[in-house]
Amino acid sequence: MLNRLYVHNYRCLNNFELRLKDKPSVLLLGRNGSGKSSVRSALEILQHIARGTNRVGTLIKRADLYRDRTDEPVRVEVEAEINARLYRYALALEYPQGFRELRVLSESLECDGLGIFSRDRAQVHLGPASDNPNGFRIDWHVVALPLIQERSAEDPLAIFRLWLARSLILDPIPSRITGESSEETLEPDREVRRLGGWFAGLIAHAPATYADIDSYLRGILPDLLDIKNPVVAESAEHRSRRLTVNFRAETHEHVLSVPFAALSDGEKSAFVCALVLAASKAHNPIFCFWDEPDSHLALDEVGHFITELRRAFKNNGGQLVVTSHSEETIRRFSHENTFLLHRKSHLEPTQVSALSDLDIAGDLVGALIRGDVAP
Amino acid sequence: MINKFKPHLLILPEDEANRMIANGFVQTPHLDLSRVQILPNAGGWGHVRDSFTQAHNKAMSKYDKRMMLLLVDFDNQDNRREEVLSQVSPQVRDRVFVLGTLSEPEDLRGDLGHFERIGEAIGDDCLDEAPRTWEHPLLQHNEEELRRLTERVRPFLFPTR
Repeated sequence: MLNRLYVHNYRCLNNFELRLKDKPSVLLLGRNGSGKSSVRSALEILQHIARGTNRVGTLIKRADLYRDRTDEPVRVEVEAEINARLYRYALALEYPQGFRELRVLSESLECDGLGIFSRDRAQVHLGPASDNPNGFRIDWHVVALPLIQERSAEDPLAIFRLWLARSLILDPIPSRITGESSEETLEPDREVRRLGGWFAGLIAHAPATYADIDSYLRGILPDLLDIKNPVVAESAEHRSRRLTVNFRAETHEHVLSVPFAALSDGEKSAFVCALVLAASKAHNPIFCFWDEPDSHLALDEVGHFITELRRAFKNNGGQLVVTSHSEETIRRFSHENTFLLHRKSHLEPTQVSALSDLDIAGDLVGALIRGDVAP
Repeated sequence: MINKFKPHLLILPEDEANRMIANGFVQTPHLDLSRVQILPNAGGWGHVRDSFTQAHNKAMSKYDKRMMLLLVDFDNQDNRREEVLSQVSPQVRDRVFVLGTLSEPEDLRGDLGHFERIGEAIGDDCLDEAPRTWEHPLLQHNEEELRRLTERVRPFLFPTR
């Protein structure tokens, strides 16, 4: 579970702190431009690092600095509780005069207060710095977290990195999801273009998840018969699959086979939800940030969809953070798990307030429509 | 999405506090989410009452598997349940249930935690078939109505328990 996210000097996030301890599901509210997508991007930087992207210049560019402040470091810090152990990872980047890209100023990872590694520019120390005063040097344009060799799968470094790499940072674009795939994965991309590979990866990782996916989808698509992911092209180096969904109405013998690409945007969103639910069960604890999960859904589907997600993450020990402008989604959260992101103008940074700390008169949705919800 | 042709429960909260209690309840494990839906707040117990003449009497007559749970504040009024039910058509009356805090839910928070947690505790009671939360002095007046509700909705809300 992500207890804390701290971001400084990145896009509209300046000295920004989000505290999520003991909150299995959270809603981020805010007008367009309030900083919700910047929070997602900050989390995505960490996810990309854990998935192996180490070049600072590909993670953050000068244009990402808050108001082009090159004289202050960019800081991204997380505190996460994973299997009852507390991890702290902190990365600071700087943009020295004359440089063409940012470089690492400092970086560290701790588990239960014990240093796993720490770093000062190019100099890296494994374990507490006092145990290993010499350490070794790496390119200061490269993040160390994905490079350090783990000793075993039980190594705290491996556990933290896997948790971060498997986190789901989602902003699906259904029209771009085709169902074609060439490899299995448990690490879907933000737009979930590789849904077919994610489906295959989940089934391979935990075959029982097919039953969970099937069960959820039948609630939305009552005539669903089954889902197939056959090989459609194969060579020595390459194997392609194409996801197909079969339907059969109770009153018909005929089976209608529909390529995934031909499903509606709402139906594709339901598939994404089914895979998120399956992932929350298959490899928990899992962290998921989902930007507007209710897009493309019919009004009578949203409440059920959000409640199902919230319940799954609560009961499976994961954590879900969503953003939304939908009234129905907003109503499915409560004040103690809703945060308001707010910016007075484009010249000022994002402020975050717990809804429970704000004075809101009457119905929340009504207050939001009136524009009365502000710190 | 609920199936209107199977037994289902619509929860109509009077206000934000009752909505959040309902939010906690529906996260109970084993609860069949396809059989329950929380409606937008009515905006006060009077609006809960009036919503029957405006919409729910007709809809409940049309969908005979529909049941409704009205979450209202009793505001220390002995006749609040009868007042709320005064506009409910006799034909659907046995499928409508009224529960609520003797005063208002804000008074429960000191003992039971935030609103969603109160709903979660009520859900846990359902799983354990032990109405511990309902023994709270501000909730125990619901005993008879709770028994009537439980008999009707438990079989389809918790089919595996």
